[in-house]
Amino acid sequence: MLVWTRPGKALTWIAFAVVFGVLVLAPFVVVIAAAFAGTWNGVLPSNPTAGHLQEALSGDELASLSVSLQTAFLGGLLAVAFGTWGALAAHGSRFGRVADALHHLPIAVPSVVVGLGLLVAFSRQPILLNGTKWIVVIAHLVLMVAFSYGTVAAALQRVDPSYADVAASLGASPARVLWQVRLPMLRPAIASAAGLSVALSMGEVGATIMVYPASWRTVPVSIFALSDRGQTFTAAAEALVLLTATVLVVFTVDRLRGRAVEQ
Amino acid sequence: MTVQLDDVSVHFGRTCALEGLSLTVAAGETVALLGPSGSGKSTALKAVAGFVRPSSGRIRLAGQDVTDLPPAKRGIGVVVQQYALFPHLRVADNVAFGLRAARKPKAEVVRRVAEMLAMVGMTSYAKRFPRELSGGQQQRVAIARALAIQPKVLLLDEPLAALDAQLRADMLGELQKLRREVPEVAIVYVTHDQSEALALADRIAVMRDARLVDIAPAAELYATPPSAFTASFLGGANLLPVESVGEDVKVAGHVLPGVRSTPGKELLCIRPHAIRLGSEGVPVRVIATQWRGSSNQLTCTVDGLPDVSVRIDLPADSDVPALGAQVSMVLPAEACSLVPS
Ligand SMILES: Nc1ncnc2c1ncn2[C@@H]1O[C@H](COP(=O)(O)OP(=O)(O)OP(=O)(O)O)[C@@H](O)[C@H]1O
Ligand SMILES: [Mg+2]
Repeated sequence: MLVWTRPGKALTWIAFAVVFGVLVLAPFVVVIAAAFAGTWNGVLPSNPTAGHLQEALSGDELASLSVSLQTAFLGGLLAVAFGTWGALAAHGSRFGRVADALHHLPIAVPSVVVGLGLLVAFSRQPILLNGTKWIVVIAHLVLMVAFSYGTVAAALQRVDPSYADVAASLGASPARVLWQVRLPMLRPAIASAAGLSVALSMGEVGATIMVYPASWRTVPVSIFALSDRGQTFTAAAEALVLLTATVLVVFTVDRLRGRAVEQ
Repeated sequence: MTVQLDDVSVHFGRTCALEGLSLTVAAGETVALLGPSGSGKSTALKAVAGFVRPSSGRIRLAGQDVTDLPPAKRGIGVVVQQYALFPHLRVADNVAFGLRAARKPKAEVVRRVAEMLAMVGMTSYAKRFPRELSGGQQQRVAIARALAIQPKVLLLDEPLAALDAQLRADMLGELQKLRREVPEVAIVYVTHDQSEALALADRIAVMRDARLVDIAPAAELYATPPSAFTASFLGGANLLPVESVGEDVKVAGHVLPGVRSTPGKELLCIRPHAIRLGSEGVPVRVIATQWRGSSNQLTCTVDGLPDVSVRIDLPADSDVPALGAQVSMVLPAEACSLVPS
């Protein structure tokens, strides 16, 4: 702390609270309030109701939640598998730098562009995926693989290569070294990559909106559509559902990681 | 099993980490690789283990060329500098790792793990994780793990470097005991600590700047070091420039009785504890004294040799000259040897 006097400290805390409150907390509070609002004409909402939430948890909107969860797990976990594989393969290889650059491409390129690219590429023979859920899963996979790769590659940098060397000298085949030494030692990084991928996937809009078929609409896309149609309160309720689901999923994955570290 | 390095060089990109090392370690022999940091000791060990590929030269085990064989096929026990115990496996599973990799029957794995843990005195720690062990305990487990596969060659990379002084002395004793339990194993012991090398090794190979400087039986290397570097690195010998006058050798103008001059060897090498103070000797001036418990160490300048300082260890119970005092040092001929500069 650079400020030592009591009033000075108080002032900095108040300034921080105001900035944090307005920029970070207020949108949350407003979304929660809107989710339960029957009408909102004055400064504060009125006629509280649980109807929007019921709406958000039934029919098409409930299907959206299931779609989002499936996409996040499928895309996110595939991304972790590919990212880990890529990081392990690139580590210590002459092509490591090229692989680094390639894996970071989806982060650098705007997600809308990634979505458009997939749409154009997979809307014609020989691979026709447009209109199926797979194009959404692939879009998420492409976007999340970069984060998984980055997380695992960073962890690999910190692991002393002598563990794998010693394992090999004890007579372990490369496969045994991989499964029983290298991967277990990377478990915390892999778990945190999984958490990150799933969370990002749950919130992904940019690419999804370019490629999604009517039968495979994720929650963020539903929210976008609802708010576009002027159903702001239902959109808010749906946002609350998305928020809760994401927090629960990330929390669970994080618990798994905690256990991996403890072990 | 004999380990044979034949003109082995290792390059990392443009840096040369090991240059033309030739070395043979017989079955049952302990050879210490001794040298300062960065001299290529670990690299030599990694080349034998198969962790790095030599850029030239061959490595043979029991006469068979293993240069292109992966580490898993060499059957060599390795203990690396930081032990590298697998953090996610318990002590017993660490020790069992090599046995399971060899698909030994379960009963044999259990029996052998118990045997190895008993040998290093770690039986009661079998269920712990590596991070629940002290440095010395981790080191024992690392040795047990390496020996569990019954290797014919054991490579130890500075196994005591991470321990404090007291524990290091204890573990040195344990390693000597362990040596007797595996009498037929060839051991390469990397260290930068000369006392470990002297205590454990049959022969000592002194390394410097990626090259082998000298190799000889430990006692011989200590008594008559072949080079100035070995003389000062192994036992911290004093090196004094000499002049040859016919058969005689002079230090700062004083003839050393009993020392014969040898062409090409212009440095006199003598250990600090071999020098005595007397009346008939080379005059020196005391510039520092240091009490070391078992001895007093004097640092002196020699009149007529402006760039040289001499260290003299006096027995703890002898009189210590005052700072600045002029004394004369006696260099007994039997403790002197001449080395090239
Ligand atoms: N993987 C590597 N890549 C590049 N240079 C390396 C590598 N490993 C070692 N070197 C270089 O090779 C030289 C010898 O290293 P080595 O580890 O064999 O030294 P050492 O004698 O074991 O030293 P220490 O006592 O510090 O362990 C050093 O100059 C080092 O910088
Ligand atoms: Mg080393």
